[in-house]
Amino acid sequence: MPKVTVDGQEIEVPAGATVLQACELAGKEIPRFCYHERLSIAGNCRMCLVEVKPGPPKPQASCALPAADGQEIRTDSEMVKHAREGVMEFLLINHPLDCPICDQGGECDLQDQAMAYGKGRSRYELNKRAVTEKYMGPIVKTIMTRCIHCTRCVRFAEEVAGVEDIGAIGRGENMQITSYLEHAVQSELSGNVVDLCPVGALTSKPYAFEARPWELKKTLGIDVMDAVGTNIQFGARGREVLRVLPRVNDDVNEEWATDKARYAIDGLMRRRLDKPYVRRDGTLQPVSWQDAFQAIADVNAGSSVAAIAGDQVDCETMYAAKALLKSMGSDQLEGRQTGMSYDVTSLDAVRFNTPLADLEHADVVLLIGSNPRHEAPLVNTRIRKAIKRGAKIFAFGAETDLTYKVQWLGDDLAGLSSLPQALADALEGAERPALILGPGALTIDGAHGAALKLADQFKMVREGWNGFNLLHTSAARMGGLMLGYAQAGGIADIVRGKPKLAFFLGADEVDFSQFDSSFKVYVGHHGDAGAHAADVILPAAAYPEKAGTYVNIEGRVQRSAKAVFAPGDAREDWAIFRALSDILGHRLPFDDFDGLRAAMFADVPALADEGLVPYDWAPPKLADSPSGVPSYPIRDYYLTNAICRASETMNRCSAELVHGVDMLEAAE
Amino acid sequence: MTEFFQTHLGAGFGWFVANLILILLIALPLMLAVAMIIYADRKIWAAIALRKGPNVVGPFGLLQSFADGLKVFLQETIIPSASNRGLFLMAPIITFTVALLAWAVIPFGPGMVLADINVGLLYVLAISSLGVYGVVISGWASNSKYPFFSAMRAAAQMISYEVSIGFILISVILWAGTSNLGGIIDAQRGTILGIFNANALNPLLFPIAVLFFISSLAETARAPFDLTEAESELVAGYQTEYSSMAFALFWLGEYANVILMCALNALLFWGGWLPPVDWAPLYYVPGIIWFFLKIGICFFMFSWVKATVPRYRYDQLMRLGWKIFLPISLFWVFLVSGYLMITRYGALS
Amino acid sequence: MSFAQTVKAYTLWEFLKAHWLTLQYFFKPKATINYPYEKNALSPRFRGEHALRRYPNGEERCIACKLCEAVCPAQAITIEAEPRDDGSRRTTRYDIDMTKCIYCGFCQEACPVDAIVEGPNFEYSTETREELIYDKGKLLENGDKWERAIAANLAADAPYR
Repeated sequence: MPKVTVDGQEIEVPAGATVLQACELAGKEIPRFCYHERLSIAGNCRMCLVEVKPGPPKPQASCALPAADGQEIRTDSEMVKHAREGVMEFLLINHPLDCPICDQGGECDLQDQAMAYGKGRSRYELNKRAVTEKYMGPIVKTIMTRCIHCTRCVRFAEEVAGVEDIGAIGRGENMQITSYLEHAVQSELSGNVVDLCPVGALTSKPYAFEARPWELKKTLGIDVMDAVGTNIQFGARGREVLRVLPRVNDDVNEEWATDKARYAIDGLMRRRLDKPYVRRDGTLQPVSWQDAFQAIADVNAGSSVAAIAGDQVDCETMYAAKALLKSMGSDQLEGRQTGMSYDVTSLDAVRFNTPLADLEHADVVLLIGSNPRHEAPLVNTRIRKAIKRGAKIFAFGAETDLTYKVQWLGDDLAGLSSLPQALADALEGAERPALILGPGALTIDGAHGAALKLADQFKMVREGWNGFNLLHTSAARMGGLMLGYAQAGGIADIVRGKPKLAFFLGADEVDFSQFDSSFKVYVGHHGDAGAHAADVILPAAAYPEKAGTYVNIEGRVQRSAKAVFAPGDAREDWAIFRALSDILGHRLPFDDFDGLRAAMFADVPALADEGLVPYDWAPPKLADSPSGVPSYPIRDYYLTNAICRASETMNRCSAELVHGVDMLEAAE
Repeated sequence: MTEFFQTHLGAGFGWFVANLILILLIALPLMLAVAMIIYADRKIWAAIALRKGPNVVGPFGLLQSFADGLKVFLQETIIPSASNRGLFLMAPIITFTVALLAWAVIPFGPGMVLADINVGLLYVLAISSLGVYGVVISGWASNSKYPFFSAMRAAAQMISYEVSIGFILISVILWAGTSNLGGIIDAQRGTILGIFNANALNPLLFPIAVLFFISSLAETARAPFDLTEAESELVAGYQTEYSSMAFALFWLGEYANVILMCALNALLFWGGWLPPVDWAPLYYVPGIIWFFLKIGICFFMFSWVKATVPRYRYDQLMRLGWKIFLPISLFWVFLVSGYLMITRYGALS
Repeated sequence: MSFAQTVKAYTLWEFLKAHWLTLQYFFKPKATINYPYEKNALSPRFRGEHALRRYPNGEERCIACKLCEAVCPAQAITIEAEPRDDGSRRTTRYDIDMTKCIYCGFCQEACPVDAIVEGPNFEYSTETREELIYDKGKLLENGDKWERAIAANLAADAPYR
């Protein structure tokens, strides 16, 4: 532990820390552009210059200089001030003064630091450099003249996203950042380069010119596009969510968010259900809430009622529906829309037991029928980090590009019964082995049992480490399982019961033909498959429009706040069930959201505390001889749910990145 | 004129018609005069404040008051729901009527008077005392706190100053030896060594002339004694709840009263329709012109004071009335009567 | 009260002095002008009715930077923007609520392209409140109407900026 002195203040810093980190520990702000905590060190912007003794009598780049014992660091000397002013003047030589039309304006590192550390004037009188725009796909807008060559984007693409699509060509002043052959960046995480870019060179294309950061009302939320539970921040103006930014949470998403989490929100303003509908004479007709409720009451379902939860609903919605069904005398709840029926007797056996932050320390990872790049891109970045630390990755399933090197062991899961020697050896010798059972594998009988057997065989669950992981793709899944949205035989059990009345809570992936004999009530926010099949539509709130509790794949309880109001007559889901319960004559015992939460916590105490839910490892004994080829359920990463399908940006991404329509050529 | 109508219409009815015409001959020009005097008031006030004053409606803005009158006339008459409806409507009528009544005894020239009664001054005093009823009734009937405060103030203020006005008038009556207004004017002829025709220029009467002028400001609630409508405290005073013609009647009555007080000033202290100097050629100018000239000068002084002096505080107003004006005017009754006893009635001899 | 003061009080000396003063004012030239027919000269810095200007080639100046919206202390300005077909940054909505505006001039100070200006016009009273909520069309129209005066004023004030 080296001891250094920062501006006369002596502190002890961890071994391997840089001078910049030492200064931060001492509470000194060091301006920087290229340095980023989660990326490798480049040392090319020179903004972080400090004075270090012993050393040459000149300022040194603190980000690239290791802190050594006895160093005397000054961040407040005349030399440092002068050096910063000089660097800033150089950076601004070629940076255009177009802040008024730049979307980064107001949240620009260069702007802020020019104000704080700049000289305030320039001596440069020649022409400024101009750079042609580069095409980086439907997400990232480029104005390359503004680029200051920090290479954060290049490093992010290579190190975190794992796609070597962004790079630099040329030298010195003529250096240009570009995408490979000016193709769209083939990554699910490309939106993060917009946040990383310290200037306005890379900005968000869908959000272009929409709003200034100071106009947005910021609300803390949870993403529901996948099951990772990315911590996000809604930026809303008026009734519209204009952008989503990730929040820093090292346990979940570090500081990244997927493109879907960021850009699917424009789907919230399209194809919305904003008034109740009732199917009359074969067509859906807008009616009042009262009439819609009456139509449901007229079914006289008695206790023959079921509820199917969709992929994006919050726990409160599911609980409200559950409470209504319970008061009507039914427990026909199911959340696995597509018909999966894995055993849920132990919730520990169906969750992602390795905390995401620990996954990057795994030394052997076995993927079984899983494509984490599409099912949970942020899990994929964790696996990439594990690889960087030396982990080996094995996989059963169809070969696909996961952005890192994988040892493919064949696509038939029968291989689980007779493991290849390489894998067996690796698992045998591993200290922190992990397996990830994907949703593709879960559709194959016996895969769950085989995975559990494997975990048992190679002691994947040991002191301080649990390497047995199930990767869900639905944000509502863990919460739904905790609330009992699972029948032993899956949705088939519900179909067999032939309910007179069926509630679909934003469920769009169900095969609705199974429910021909039921009166179908769709409680959701988008006019998608569910709404088309419904007999009554009750317009509800989408995820930024309601406060809610979500449980991510790890079993981490997180809460999201309400950012905007639902459009038109749409109401928050729980309120719909509360009002409906009056009409049906089964008044629910809560009148406000707090009351609902209190009742939910009483029902499922694990939801009461934010953070990981503690369960004991008690795996069930299951059939363990799978055979069959798992298929990855996500065919099109950008169009997995109703919000995405309504989103213009996601459709464009899908067309270009999945289906290969070249937008640049199409535009020309 | 009375004879002319009586010969044609019979004694009783002819007298009635003749007097009706005379009343109209006084009242209608008076209304016109009020309109012009309001205009003059605003102009003078504006000039002292370095403004132009009304100058858009008509030549030099002369028709401004008529425009205002028209506007007021077209307004909706609002009667507050909680008010005493009958009294509320009666109050402005009282104020307006009373303001006209006193003009019956004002002589505009030699013999040019509607009612040449011997108790003329007493009559004026009596009528102007009635004026306070309009104010008090309006304040009461509005059933609103500011008008009520204002009415209380107005009643106290008018009563206070009428006391000293009474004593001043007694001095004047004593000096003239008559309470007939024509007689009082005649008595002013050749005041000082046969030169001037004005009581005010008599050293003995000059102080009470000033006192009377100031008291008439208070009596008509003009600045600096306009506490009844001190807008920063009482909104618009007793008129607050009034609109439309009711408001206009107050307005007309108020200014008719102002002209009346100016006329009284001119009559009692400045020689009425007599020329200012007792010099034969000046008598060729008709007396009514001298009279109107004097009223005009007096009104200019009213406006001048309004533009110059800030408003009194209420306790200062009361102190001035009761502790200064009353003793002084009382003392002057003693002084004047004593002087007359000695000089005119030979008390010491 | 001293003797002198008593004399002063009873001779109304101060009142007379005051009236003498006001009488002098009575005859002085008047400070006001005959407004609708005569008008005072306006400073080039006069802050009147707002206008959105154009470049000489007809292109609107406003680039939707929203600095005026941000600086507006009365929050009278509302701007919405999106990329125009040619990719440039333009407003789709530029509203000024003239009933909220306090005419501080911060918007024109903040404007980097001299697009929003407070022109020399101050005679734009309306009969309804709605008419005072200006939209982009109205503001551009103002700009076209007052361009010569605005440009002259900006040029006159330029040396002091």
